[in-house]
Amino acid sequence: MRKANFIVSGVFAVFAIVIIAISLTFPPSNHGVPGPGMFPIIIASLILVSALSLAIKTLTMNKEEDTAIDLKSKNILNVYVTMVGMIVYFVLLPLIGFVVTTTVMLILYIKWYGKRSWLKTILIAVIFVLAIFFLFGSVLNVPMRFGILI
Amino acid sequence: MLVEVLTSVFNIQIFLFIILGVFTGICIGALPGLTATMGVALVLPLTFGLDAIPGILLLIGVYVGAIYGGSISGILLRTPGTPAAAATAIDGYEFSKRGESGRAMGISTVSSFIGGVVSVIALWLIAPQLAKLALRFSAPEFFLLAVFGLSIIASISGNSLAKGVLCGGLGISLSFIGIDGITGFPRFTFNDINLLSGMSFIPVMIGLFAMSQAFRTIEDIFTPDQVSQKISHVWPSKSDWKIILKFAPISGLIGTIIGIVPGAGAEIGAFVSYSQAKRMSKRPELFGTGIPEAIAAPEGGNNGVTGGALIPMLTMGVPGDAVAAIMIGALTVQGLQPGPLLFTEHTTLVYSIFLGMFVANVAMLVLGLSSLKLFVKVLSIPKAILTPMIFVLCVVGSYAINTNFFDVGVMLFFGIVGYFMQKVDMSVSPAVLGLILGPMAESNFRRALLMSEGNYSIFFTSVIAWIFVALIFITLLGPQITALFKRKTA
Repeated sequence: MRKANFIVSGVFAVFAIVIIAISLTFPPSNHGVPGPGMFPIIIASLILVSALSLAIKTLTMNKEEDTAIDLKSKNILNVYVTMVGMIVYFVLLPLIGFVVTTTVMLILYIKWYGKRSWLKTILIAVIFVLAIFFLFGSVLNVPMRFGILI
Repeated sequence: MLVEVLTSVFNIQIFLFIILGVFTGICIGALPGLTATMGVALVLPLTFGLDAIPGILLLIGVYVGAIYGGSISGILLRTPGTPAAAATAIDGYEFSKRGESGRAMGISTVSSFIGGVVSVIALWLIAPQLAKLALRFSAPEFFLLAVFGLSIIASISGNSLAKGVLCGGLGISLSFIGIDGITGFPRFTFNDINLLSGMSFIPVMIGLFAMSQAFRTIEDIFTPDQVSQKISHVWPSKSDWKIILKFAPISGLIGTIIGIVPGAGAEIGAFVSYSQAKRMSKRPELFGTGIPEAIAAPEGGNNGVTGGALIPMLTMGVPGDAVAAIMIGALTVQGLQPGPLLFTEHTTLVYSIFLGMFVANVAMLVLGLSSLKLFVKVLSIPKAILTPMIFVLCVVGSYAINTNFFDVGVMLFFGIVGYFMQKVDMSVSPAVLGLILGPMAESNFRRALLMSEGNYSIFFTSVIAWIFVALIFITLLGPQITALFKRKTA
């Protein structure tokens, strides 16, 4: 947890500094009435102070209080692979279209996680995607056409 | 108006929506890994095409059902379906070990109903009065109210104040994106057309609550699903009734009060009720061994939160918990602004919500007592199939709000961010509450200074303002002062 806390505080500190730097370019206050930059600067300063206090607290933390965070075990790697899969899906979605991309995505995930027969997997995926497509596209009137293959 | 409210709730269409909501909610709550917040976030897109009353009652049904449903898997598997059922699982599972899971679920169902009804009554009695009071608020009071809400959220959610502030700050910072409401100046838009209108918070919420939770489920996707057992004898016995009637109403009240406090949700309501019941009980040493009051109290308490959380949401636009935050989103999509004016301009809607919430609790009782076997079957739906389907619902749901592809990216981004935030022990709720309370704080702060031409004393001119200032100080400094006091006396 120590390392993670330092990373969190570092990331947030950079985040806060970027906000402050951008906010300083905004139009200034007018006759005592705060401009668009004032509130972001206040909040970013709060974030900066909290990030620093988290770092200091972590430095003075007892070793016994430290808990390990699992970021590398096989179970977690599966999460990363899933995330990458979702990003690929997100990129392909507007290029290929909702129905086809989503069906393929579902088939691959269900097959990977569940080790069911191909036929069963494909059947589940197709029925679910068509149900969603019909529900949102026809009943709720959301235009579901993302790309060429529907 | 009474007739309007009655006709708007007591018709078959609304009943069906409420029952559908409660049913879906119980299923979602019962499945470990799917929380009440996630359920409401996933069902939210379905309400875009509905009118305000059926839409919001559908969500309330899911909320009420899910908070109750969590106890089913808590009792049967010792894995609480939602964090709110964690306290119930302690004693509930002891019942199951004795083969009395049906009895435990009966107690849980009736207590949840009683807790829920107590909170609806409190909602009915308190909300209109609070709305009347809030009508007298102007910009300075609303600013201080938002700051008060933010300070509570930072101090009670999660283990570390610093992390709470960081999360809340992240949420507020997101709200800066887009055209500034007062000067018209574009902030943090990086010349991107999608950012000009601001970050729409429904994709952010679906990402933080549903997508990140789905990613967490992947962690143990390959561990086999647990098998559940058969249940019978659900209706509580006479002696159980006595205990339920002694503990559930008080727990419901405790839950309601906790629900009103911004940021404190059903899990806190359940645990506080559990420890209060332990203090009240004549046999505290038996808690943890499977006694009826140890189920009645947390179940009354967590469903008590449901009505309580709506009180500040409806009257002042301040969400009582993460689910209430999503409901603000649902109301906004319908063009309704939660706050005191809702009570004067949309009176029928408000009272329909109250009445509908009562109906939802009745539906929960009836479904719980009659169809428990069905809900237990839901537990055998494999997560290997369910989780990828949740991915699809997250994608479609975030797309549906503006039919904008950019929102899907926002959802996915916050799904990943939310996953890692939970990994490093940061609760995601403060971010969402910050996203709602941030703009409320900022716009009222600047409006107040516009009114006073830059004079800061405007924040200290009314009694209400002073009360808020005192409350903010107590919230932020209270824990430190008591800690200091304890150290001195020790």
